[in-house]
Amino acid sequence: MREVYVVGIGITSFSRLEYPLVEIAGYPAMMALKDAGLSSVDHVYVANMGAGRLNKQTGLASAVVDHLALTPAGAEAIENGPASGASAIKQGYMAVASGLHDTVLVTGAERMRAANSLETTDFVATLTHPLAEYIYGVTLPSLAGMFTRLYMDKYGVTSRHLSMVAVKAHANAMLNPFAHLHELITMDGIEDGPDAGTNNPMVADPLRFYDCCPVSDGGACLILATGEVAKKLKKPMVRLAGVGQATDTHAVHERKDPTEVTAVRLAAQQAFGMAGFKPSQVDVAELHDAFTILEIVESEEAGFFKKGEGHKALEKGLTKIGGQIPINTSGGLKAKGHPVGATGVGQAHEIVLQLRGEAGARQVKGAKRGFTCNFGGFGNNVVCLAFQREG
Amino acid sequence: MEIYGYQCSKCGHINYPNRTLCGKCKNNAFVPVPLPKAGKLLTFTRLSTLPGDFDVPEMTLGIVELSNGVRVTGQVEIPKPKMGMAVESTVQVVRKDEYNKYYGMVFRAK
Repeated sequence: MREVYVVGIGITSFSRLEYPLVEIAGYPAMMALKDAGLSSVDHVYVANMGAGRLNKQTGLASAVVDHLALTPAGAEAIENGPASGASAIKQGYMAVASGLHDTVLVTGAERMRAANSLETTDFVATLTHPLAEYIYGVTLPSLAGMFTRLYMDKYGVTSRHLSMVAVKAHANAMLNPFAHLHELITMDGIEDGPDAGTNNPMVADPLRFYDCCPVSDGGACLILATGEVAKKLKKPMVRLAGVGQATDTHAVHERKDPTEVTAVRLAAQQAFGMAGFKPSQVDVAELHDAFTILEIVESEEAGFFKKGEGHKALEKGLTKIGGQIPINTSGGLKAKGHPVGATGVGQAHEIVLQLRGEAGARQVKGAKRGFTCNFGGFGNNVVCLAFQREG
Repeated sequence: MEIYGYQCSKCGHINYPNRTLCGKCKNNAFVPVPLPKAGKLLTFTRLSTLPGDFDVPEMTLGIVELSNGVRVTGQVEIPKPKMGMAVESTVQVVRKDEYNKYYGMVFRAK
């Protein structure tokens, strides 16, 4: 297999975007082409989850490739729920590594706020098992709520720990001009103070408002290429060094131990195995914190901390910028935002920015190795990526 | 009315929900068996952001381990639920949309 490098990146603000979906996919792609210094690519992958339902548009890849004047390049849309982004990057990786294509553009885009919140909640809930979960009113927040209760009971995680994740995410997002939520929050405001109950009401107990990510529109793009192309383009050499993916039972109740997220562990092991470095060598990571509990759990399953100790590491500040392993420097899904199909590409965008040393105020000094975890469904389809700076 | 599990005719594992191949031994023949009513509430959540089909402000959902060890997800109608408490299900309409009524398990304290 050939080695695969990231030669161009682009992103939109994650927020409410009053543009057609093709433009949300097209703008970051235009920026990435400019960043790479390319005017054409061999192939396009578009990561998206909701176009057919929320935007009444199908065949999105054909629309995007034409919008970017990249025809006659081949183009496909990749749908893998909230892990569509990393899945599309994985497809791009395979296309370049296999020798099929030399340059592949992967753009993720979602326009969720085109629909009302009842419709969006229902749309995301269609990820759950149709007969064993969905019919009951099960939504992603409710699966996360039930999971959190078990995790608190088993490992002593408290609502304070969850709030610490949110406070850290919001603080990091303040340093990211593209983040959805530019709102500095404090432990006093959401946890300890007299107004905390009003500011931070229950959503799916024990999860509260500030434990859940916002519903965002947004797009992000990565251009992948061979080493030969990358050397000519003269951008900092960031290699996509490892990809991993694993699945788990569709219905969450069927898992042997409902406090384990096995698919994260397996996908991370594959990604690290392929990249040839260990979790302890990672300088910066983006984890899929659609709910605050997930940052803690994934930090353990990915191998940064022992099982049951992620919340202790958080308490010690090990996951802050300047800590041992900064997590979600972008603000994470919690505060950067979660345009579902684009999220995985957005995570990779942040890691490439960090490894290039272009992350500005939130730069992790000397970052050489990065990791992303993109979590589909409630952990039933997880894609992890490992990146390494060369030179 | 009953909700059925799908017992593998080869290894005896009860699959719920059903699948094409047994989750334990990959055999593809099953015998439907009614799921027991009684069980233990493993975890729950009180949900206050519901999809459009639900015309209530809040609802409790839970995961229950039934008396035969099979786990299921269902609605919970218990004012102050506790982890580990004994519960019992009835099968009733759990969701309605424009065209259909959906039947499922609703758990109450035993």
